Amino acid sequence: MTDAVIYDRGYRAYDGELLGRRATRGAIAKDGIRRILGIRRKARRKVLPWALLSIGLLMAAVLVGQLFIFGSLAGAVAEGLPSYAELFDLYSRIALLFLAITIPELLGPDRAQGVTSVYFSRPMSVADYLGAKATAYLVMAASIYLVPQLAFHLGAAALADEGFLAHLTGNLDVLWRVGASALGFILIHGGVLAIVGAYVDRTSFAAATFLGVLLAGGNLAGVISQAPFTGARYASLLALDDHARYVRDWIFDRDLGAYWPERAGFDPWVSVVVIGFVAVAGSAWVYRRYRRLA
Amino acid sequence: MTEQIVSVDALTHRFGDVVALRAVTLEIAPGVTGLVGANGAGKTTLLRSLLGLVHATEGSIRVMGHDASTDPIAVRAVVGYMPEGACLPKDQTAADFVGFTAEMAGVPPKDARRRASETLFLVGLEEERFRYLGDFSTGMQQRVKLAQSIVHGPKLVLLDEPASGLDPAGREQMLALIRRLGGFGINVIVSSHVLSDIEETCQSVVMLDAGRLIRSGPMDERGTSKAVTVEVVGDPAPLAAMLTGSGLEVAAVGPVLTIEAVDDAVFDLIIDAAASTGTGIFRMGRAVITLEQEFLLQAGRPGT
Repeated sequence: MTDAVIYDRGYRAYDGELLGRRATRGAIAKDGIRRILGIRRKARRKVLPWALLSIGLLMAAVLVGQLFIFGSLAGAVAEGLPSYAELFDLYSRIALLFLAITIPELLGPDRAQGVTSVYFSRPMSVADYLGAKATAYLVMAASIYLVPQLAFHLGAAALADEGFLAHLTGNLDVLWRVGASALGFILIHGGVLAIVGAYVDRTSFAAATFLGVLLAGGNLAGVISQAPFTGARYASLLALDDHARYVRDWIFDRDLGAYWPERAGFDPWVSVVVIGFVAVAGSAWVYRRYRRLA
Repeated sequence: MTEQIVSVDALTHRFGDVVALRAVTLEIAPGVTGLVGANGAGKTTLLRSLLGLVHATEGSIRVMGHDASTDPIAVRAVVGYMPEGACLPKDQTAADFVGFTAEMAGVPPKDARRRASETLFLVGLEEERFRYLGDFSTGMQQRVKLAQSIVHGPKLVLLDEPASGLDPAGREQMLALIRRLGGFGINVIVSSHVLSDIEETCQSVVMLDAGRLIRSGPMDERGTSKAVTVEVVGDPAPLAAMLTGSGLEVAAVGPVLTIEAVDDAVFDLIIDAAASTGTGIFRMGRAVITLEQEFLLQAGRPGT
């Protein structure tokens, strides 16, 4: 006869520490980042985000390679090669594709699969939930906009004639210019994505809607703004993607005259206001929507 | 006196013109409580009100000592909830999802992972915990839903139709799990429109019908009818006639007579009447009222 005993471990009430709502927000943000990147998901979920992030970095690496060929950033720019401001343009479509899946992926599946009914039974508010999702978006959007810039900046510093540290300390203005430009893109894209993501459950449909609004809608608004009727120029304000580019050029002291609001005669600060308005409106919209859902 | 886990006072909830709950007042004692009613009776609205997810049009709710209207976060810190409908992310493993829901309740990540494993073991999913939820059967998904509702160690668990969509074996397993929760000292409120499930599982019952409370209290208080049923061998008519003649209220359905009786003296009366009429008695006893019969009676729909 055996002496083996089968134990039923049963259930033990949790009597450990509870971390509070800040930890709850952190857990949701962490899960959001994992979801966007496909971490702890099936392999096919990882392909698109990692491919887009890799392409963004690859572009920065190619530019650093060109700096190596031309010996310095100044030399490369003199040859008409891109610098910080142009790097945004170089990977802007990649970034746009990446961002197009962020907020829809953060919000849509939770609603479509009914998971929000579990989440909102936990000790948190709608603001906690949306704030955590916004944090996940900001982290991922910053990674696509800032990581290639950072790689480019460090590469340029490594190749600089004056030395690595001297280049970094001598170009501190680059940090705020790049940061402020990226913030413009992140805010205006986030505002539009929040509105789309609040209603469209499927990530692919939401991404397509976002890209349509931004690209086709922007061009349409631009064309209308050039039409010969009174007030037509105000249509250029609906060319949303152009506002971030216009502000970026303003920050980098460039004047290309290439963007619809600029062509329609609006000052850059008007674009700053539009960016802020879209970001606030998107946030308010999604909050209002979730107040009803929760 | 035992402290009530739920106190609801004159709770009314309206969705536009539709009144989901009408001036419901009730108290729920610790233990396993059944919330019964037909579809649309207001069960889910009451459960969501207890979580502070829907705000009362009128009235007040206290859950585990907290006001659900003014302090829903405090309520949700001590309550677990298992929704009726689909609520699982298909692209996550059971362990990841249950662990994440524990983290959302404030459990530190390391403890959350451990608790997720323990809880999934409890519900019988230890082998499947690293499989994706999209690959789970309905029965397994219901178990995951139950696991997430208790992973953070709540004092009260609200289960909305936990046996919904399960086959008979799965249903029995789910009910056994719910009984076990009661045994572990977790207070449970389980809603169902299958009254036999509640009868098997709960110590107390709350009955709702069209948003009205029709009964609330311990399960063993039901069946208070004084009716006696007598199943006879042969023709029941002579016995029925004699008992009616003695002033008793008698109803006959086939060979079964149901006699409204005030006290136990009626048993002697029936035996004497049976002897006088030469009627053989096959079975005799107090009528047992099922929860379903009581619900129909209380809802004013006897015999439906």
